[in-house]
Amino acid sequence: MSRGDVAISRPARLVLRVYFVVFLLVLYLPTALLVLFSFNDSNTLSFPIVGLTTHWYSDAVNNPDIVDSVRNSFQIAVGVGIVATVIGLLASYALARSNIRMKGAISALLLVPLVVPTIALAIALLILVKKANLPLLHPGLLALGIGHVVLALPYTVLLILPRISNIDRRLEEAAHDLGASGAQTFRRIILPLIVPSLMAAFLIAFITSIDEVVLASFLLGAEQTYPAYLFAGLRHPDTAAALIPVASAMILLSFLTAFGAEVLRRRGERRLGAAA
Amino acid sequence: MLTPAVAGLALFLLFPLYYVFLYSVGMRYLEQTPKLAELDGHFTSFTLTLWHDFLSPDVYVEILGGSSPALTVPSWVVGITLVALIALTLLGTRISAVYGGRISLVSALVLVSPFATIPWGDGLLRLAELTTSQDSIYLRLFFKSISMAMTSSIFAVVFAFPVAYYMAFVLKKTKYTWILIVITPFLTSYLLRVFAWTIILGDQGLVNSALQKIGLIDQPLTWLLYTQFTVIVVLTYAWVPFICLPIFIALENIDRRLLEAATDLGASRFRAFVKITLPLAAPGMVAAFLFVFIPSIGEYVTPSLVGGTKGYMFGNGIQTQFTGGALDWQTGSVLALFLIVVVLMLTGATSRFLRAGGGGR
Repeated sequence: MSRGDVAISRPARLVLRVYFVVFLLVLYLPTALLVLFSFNDSNTLSFPIVGLTTHWYSDAVNNPDIVDSVRNSFQIAVGVGIVATVIGLLASYALARSNIRMKGAISALLLVPLVVPTIALAIALLILVKKANLPLLHPGLLALGIGHVVLALPYTVLLILPRISNIDRRLEEAAHDLGASGAQTFRRIILPLIVPSLMAAFLIAFITSIDEVVLASFLLGAEQTYPAYLFAGLRHPDTAAALIPVASAMILLSFLTAFGAEVLRRRGERRLGAAA
Repeated sequence: MLTPAVAGLALFLLFPLYYVFLYSVGMRYLEQTPKLAELDGHFTSFTLTLWHDFLSPDVYVEILGGSSPALTVPSWVVGITLVALIALTLLGTRISAVYGGRISLVSALVLVSPFATIPWGDGLLRLAELTTSQDSIYLRLFFKSISMAMTSSIFAVVFAFPVAYYMAFVLKKTKYTWILIVITPFLTSYLLRVFAWTIILGDQGLVNSALQKIGLIDQPLTWLLYTQFTVIVVLTYAWVPFICLPIFIALENIDRRLLEAATDLGASRFRAFVKITLPLAAPGMVAAFLFVFIPSIGEYVTPSLVGGTKGYMFGNGIQTQFTGGALDWQTGSVLALFLIVVVLMLTGATSRFLRAGGGGR
């Protein structure tokens, strides 16, 4: 008896297949509609579709608010990606390889941002930024970037730490025995093995930042990021139509980034498998 | 090498949270010391008044949508009851080897019953409801948020299960590609996936236009958008792709020989499903439930975009205190800290499920 037969009968399988197809259609329907409406020649986002146009796209490209906010978003996201990956790498290496005390407490601390509700983190940082009188820290892109690093750090650690832990210690010992310094071992042995997970960590931090709106809606000053701009605009349905084109482009971009991160993660696993 | 991470988190996570705590217990600036009106964080005297204001109102228990409360109980009784029920649900199997499963199941059902609803129409269909008098809005709002979050979590698990089952038991070599296809929408812009539902559910949206075209309705259904119904639908939609994963992992880890043994011994497929597959997949389903429920309690973006005033949630209550109309940072801090405590306690109590569901190993 084949194993599929044990779990599921032929009619049930057919029902499930239909359900699966409908599920996928509903899953992708909202995104598809957004792309469709980005070409709709009307000021309202409602049926029926009036006619096709690309003028929303040209409007968006010529709108300085949109262009600036998109640029801000990318700058912050790249910065957050780099900073969170570097800090995450350092922390992961220390947690995996050195015998420090309170390892458990530190790992727990690193994961706290995953469970603190974002809105609570947002108001906590808002109070800090407005009332604590720290130098350099006022509402704006820098404050938001710091908040995003806090949000992204757990993800980078969760991606990098297991990879470093999985590297055979004997590789490092062999390098050490052959006269390599600590820095050399790190650069020549560890780094090549974890490059894919570093890139995945960067991408996850990047995605976390570029799509983040809760912190952005509290911590920004005059300068906006694209999600913050979008969030403000989408709450007023009359202005929403103009916002959809760049939004559709962003969706495509995040599809690609998501696939990229997954491909890198898999390649990393394969490389580690070959090395171990 | 740990210094940057630890110092950064201490300065930008723990220190701000400490400030929130200070704000929640600092002597209210309207009273006594005028200096505190500046709210610079240097509080000199402390009070629990704001916590008391938030937590003290009596809780009404309404049953079957009755207009007057069937039962009025002090809030601390409700709190203790809920905590006890959570403990019974989680620890049932340790109390008694024989009846443990039943204890867990019954207490889980009692726990869920006042919060689970069927999202339909302007008001939701429900068995019972926890609420408070109109003038203590925040505790009331908290119960409403729990209810909305719980309903969408339950529906998300129900919708995700067949998908996970199909991928685990029917699909063969292609299953990992399909998982990627299922989960990708989760990784795209949350704002836009939420907003797109205004096109689907609006008065001239997809659903209303279609229903009017085929003649089922004359007037658009106005309760589709800007109600609790919308928020529940959208939250469910937003999380469903993600939680297919933990359920899939749980199903994938089931030893197929168990099912073969069951059928060899004469069990029907349905019986094998109920007696073997379902119990073994349960931890994954609980994890999936929690993955939706925990972040949804403090949800703020979804209700702002598609909830209107009726779909307002606890997160919106917090936001109003800080950047919205109410502008009372101290009350807002009480609400935020309460949310953190609830979420941390829930996460801590259920961490073994979260770990099992997240790691799969």
